[in-house]
Amino acid sequence: MAEIEMNNGREVRSSTGSIGRMFQAASGLFLIFFLGVHLYVAHIDFGHPIQFFTSVIENMHNPWWLAFFIVFVWVISYHAVNGLGGIIKDLTMSEKGKSYVNMGMLALYIVTVIYGTILAILVARIPLP
Amino acid sequence: MVEENVKNLREGPMGWVKFYRKGIGYFAFAMHRFSGLVIVFYLYLHLFVLSHLLVGKASYNSLVTSVTYGPFDSFLVLDVLLALVIFYHGANGTRLALNELGIGLHKNKVMFYVFEVIAMILLGIFLYYAYMFLGAS
Repeated sequence: MAEIEMNNGREVRSSTGSIGRMFQAASGLFLIFFLGVHLYVAHIDFGHPIQFFTSVIENMHNPWWLAFFIVFVWVISYHAVNGLGGIIKDLTMSEKGKSYVNMGMLALYIVTVIYGTILAILVARIPLP
Repeated sequence: MVEENVKNLREGPMGWVKFYRKGIGYFAFAMHRFSGLVIVFYLYLHLFVLSHLLVGKASYNSLVTSVTYGPFDSFLVLDVLLALVIFYHGANGTRLALNELGIGLHKNKVMFYVFEVIAMILLGIFLYYAYMFLGAS
């Protein structure tokens, strides 16, 4: 899809649209929901924010919340790594450098997702105090 | 133009914050990237803190308390700044995502201000309630 970016109050067409940018936009919209729920639960939650050890463990014992946070980790990691890669690639001129950045970002994404998923599962297995 | 914004970014880290005479478009572009980098840094810091759940109750609660309040409650300022960049990034990102779907392509400047004003109102509401329930559990 052709993109139009705002610049000095003018709209300028660009033909650099890609699947990556569409996924970035879609994952960003999902994150509005995920992060909204997370901020509410962790900081407000009707006056009982899930912030300290006992409340976090209780929360993670609920399989729906566990699934929620695992999907949250997958989506936010994708969005973060894809965005970070985009910034680095904009600062890198050579195509070879860009391919290295792509490989590095893929590795970072895989490591983050595996670590986050295992961490969530292990936390959910901690016995309630 | 995107290429022009990227060229501005290549001036180096200090070039990012030179907003003078570059317009609101460059401000939105550069701040979106800067806020994104802050959030990525916080994402990994958050994972590090959450890893302490495996160490035990005392360790985790102590770490959460120390990173939330810091010396003389000074870290609460950082928490507010973090919330600010998250809400800014979310609002500007929503505008960009709608652009990808072909919505608001010819009202970008207005949409930027509208989305940011809504985001700052939501930020104020969030901070009010978060501060009210700070430390409660």
